[in-house]
Amino acid sequence: MNFNIAVAGNPNCGKTTIFNALTGAKQRVGNWPGVTVEKKSGHYNQSDHKFDVIDLPGTYSLAAFSAEETVVRQYLENDEADVVVNIIDASNLERNLFLTTQLIELGKPLVLVLNMMDMANEKGLQIDVDTLATLLGAPVVPVVGRTGEGIDLLKEKILRVSTEISMKARLIDICYPRDLEIEIDKLHQLIQVNDVTDKHSRWTSIKLLESDKQTRDEVRLHSNGTDILDQAKISVGRIEGLFKDTGRAIISSARYGFIQGAMRECVVESLVDSVDYSRQIDRVLTNRWLGLPIFGLFMWLMFKLTYDIGSIPMDWIDRGLVALMNFISDLLPDSMFASLLVDGVIGGVGAIAVFLPNIFILFLIIAVLEDSGYMARVAFIMDRVMHNIGLHGKAFIPMIMGFGCNVPAIMGTRILESRRDRILTVLINPFMSCSARLPVYVLVAGAFFPENAATVIFSMYILGIVAAIGSGKLFSRTILKGMSKPFVLELPPYQRPTLRSLVLHTWERGYLFIQKMGTVILVGSVIIWVLGYFPTEVELDRDYGSERTTLTLEYDSQFIALESKFKKSVDQDRSGYHSEMIVYESSSSYLELLEQYQLLKKELSSEKNQQLSSLRQQEIGDITEQKWIGRVGKIFEPIVRPLGFTWRESVALITGFVAKEIVVSTYGVLFGVGEDVDEGSQGVISGLRSSGMTPLVALSFLVFTLLYTPCLATVAAIRRETGTWAYTLFSIAYSLGLAYSLAFAVSYFGRMFNWLS
Amino acid sequence: MFNFKRPRHKLHISDENDLRLSDLKPGEKGRITEIGGSENFRHRLIEMGLTRDAEICVDKYAPLRDPMELIVKGYHLSLRGMDAEKIAVERIV
Ligand SMILES: Nc1nc2c(ncn2[C@@H]2O[C@H](COP(=O)(O)OP(=O)(O)OP(=O)(O)O)[C@@H](O)[C@H]2O)c(=O)[nH]1
Ligand SMILES: [Mg+2]
Repeated sequence: MNFNIAVAGNPNCGKTTIFNALTGAKQRVGNWPGVTVEKKSGHYNQSDHKFDVIDLPGTYSLAAFSAEETVVRQYLENDEADVVVNIIDASNLERNLFLTTQLIELGKPLVLVLNMMDMANEKGLQIDVDTLATLLGAPVVPVVGRTGEGIDLLKEKILRVSTEISMKARLIDICYPRDLEIEIDKLHQLIQVNDVTDKHSRWTSIKLLESDKQTRDEVRLHSNGTDILDQAKISVGRIEGLFKDTGRAIISSARYGFIQGAMRECVVESLVDSVDYSRQIDRVLTNRWLGLPIFGLFMWLMFKLTYDIGSIPMDWIDRGLVALMNFISDLLPDSMFASLLVDGVIGGVGAIAVFLPNIFILFLIIAVLEDSGYMARVAFIMDRVMHNIGLHGKAFIPMIMGFGCNVPAIMGTRILESRRDRILTVLINPFMSCSARLPVYVLVAGAFFPENAATVIFSMYILGIVAAIGSGKLFSRTILKGMSKPFVLELPPYQRPTLRSLVLHTWERGYLFIQKMGTVILVGSVIIWVLGYFPTEVELDRDYGSERTTLTLEYDSQFIALESKFKKSVDQDRSGYHSEMIVYESSSSYLELLEQYQLLKKELSSEKNQQLSSLRQQEIGDITEQKWIGRVGKIFEPIVRPLGFTWRESVALITGFVAKEIVVSTYGVLFGVGEDVDEGSQGVISGLRSSGMTPLVALSFLVFTLLYTPCLATVAAIRRETGTWAYTLFSIAYSLGLAYSLAFAVSYFGRMFNWLS
Repeated sequence: MFNFKRPRHKLHISDENDLRLSDLKPGEKGRITEIGGSENFRHRLIEMGLTRDAEICVDKYAPLRDPMELIVKGYHLSLRGMDAEKIAVERIV
């Protein structure tokens, strides 16, 4: 048979960990509340039965307070789930049981899972599992989701609850104070007589006492609904008068009353005071004075490590690619196909492949931040800043995830409760500099700011944050007015990240990147190659061949002149030499002359090479300008000329709209055409340098790259999460406008004050 | 401690000594006597365990002075000063 199993529980109690353990899936876990935002499904088989498991987002209650809670409640109230598996964080039992009391009343067959037993033991909590099971009327399975301890027992319990009738019938009632029970009973009977809903009628009665809107609407639809609602009104009036509070608050407090009773019976706290390591760590990490500097240091380290460690394997990959290119060009005759393979595919995709180490390291560091629990602290530290733009500290979590990739980060904005908050966070997220922009920074900063590359890159990230917060402030003052919901955030204990989960996260996200290289970037590179290869015949104004010959001849004659000058002075010197002891060729005066000559010769030959290669670059520039790619660039050049950009930058930026990495591939193709292949990425760097780009223009180019629309996938994500094209188009227009203005400001003021020229 | 000049939120039941959660210093403990503010806000806090009579301990304030970190029912929770101001407490010594 087929059974539907729903995994429900508080945020961050380990639902996804258990879901993965049950189904062998690899869904994301992370040590902060709100990792899972969409329900995910998987399945496993046991004793000829198939179990379809749904991993739900975490909720504190079934009150439909946020979008996620509504999803969970709808799923659980409808008849889809056969069994509900309630994951309970055993180290935080009291608060977690609140949801359990509601799930019990919902009337679905229930299996209770006491997860994080290791943490509970560490805290010195001893839980009497059997008594708890009796009190709650459902099987209780202690497990450690992280290690998989107890999962087999859990599977067995799920099997029994699904298949054995006797296991289902044991549901008990949560006992409320007598005055409440009287009113619940009245409603209960009325509902049963009228058979209003197919739900558990006690659940409906209690929800009516809580004045729950959804339940009232459902009851109203029924023919005798008004009678029931009338009674509900009387009952609510009575208890509210009696307890001097709203129905919902009274019921909630009563639930906690019941839980406290249960805790007294089942939980013994050992007298030995255990050390709260988490609290000790937080003494430092969220310290009043150290908290912010440490956060800044972590961010700086994140980029420093990404850049520095990443550059080591980068060289290896680069060398490997060069070898591959040489191998292919040796193998294949000079043909269009060889050019497609070498310049188009390897040149374009390879230009990105060298950045894989950087990107993997960045993802690894983000995974550490997520798994350790520091992410929630970031929300805590940054709440004050985010509050300024009318947002939650929690909104900073998607912003940091944006450093990895904007697409999941934009989806992650679902952890926010109001629609306005979500839209605002979505709109500012693209300014967070994602890993796809990193290759552009590394390339351009490496070419123009070799000494300060890391600093330049880090300041791009900072500029991104500033642009995000500044725009957020602007939006919250104009198009998205309003205040954020109250900030209520749980700070989970720190955890040592498990190696498995770190590797998994890094690989999972990194793999997506590799996939992107094989698809979007490959296609993009081939298209750019086509644009750069055709037309094959181009007319050049200058005759580079004869210019090169003239240049070579000129230098050749200079070499000859130099040599004869040297010989002449040697002869002169020899005639004045009178020593029988040492042969002239070993005398100090001769050696001096020789040294001088060799030095001059070396200078001359390096001058010759420089001239030749600059001529070569001019030729390549002239040729590509005539190709389709150059013509396209020329069309858009006037628009970007005020920023100091040439047609090359305009092509690179246009192609970068598809995905930012393609900016690098484009340069790879632009400077790769006809280039000696054994230069690898060094070829692109020297090409950039000799293309006439100044450090100032490079900086303005980086600013533009940082700020304009990240990629098509992000545009799609914005459309999906905001639900309208209006915000999507606005986002594109705004980011283009901002990119243009700031890049213009950089080059304008730079020229005015003569920076970096 | 927060925004002295702004008139405080009126709570349902006036408390004689009128001590609020936001008045507690790091390390001090209190017992909740009343929660004010909007319905949604009150209900959310109650559902997270901040019921009347619950014990609550102020652990620390964030580097920028806001929000604050609390310990309630054995777990850590953070709340803004302006929201903590809506929670009336009596000090436990
Ligand atoms: N010590 C310990 N940690 C656990 C255990 N189970 C899960 N964790 C950790 O708890 C954290 C939260 O786990 P998740 O599975 O992401 O929790 P979730 O309930 O899916 O969270 P949301 O999707 O945010 O609601 C992760 O850091 C896990 O590694 C356990 O049994 N013991
Ligand atoms: Mg999850």
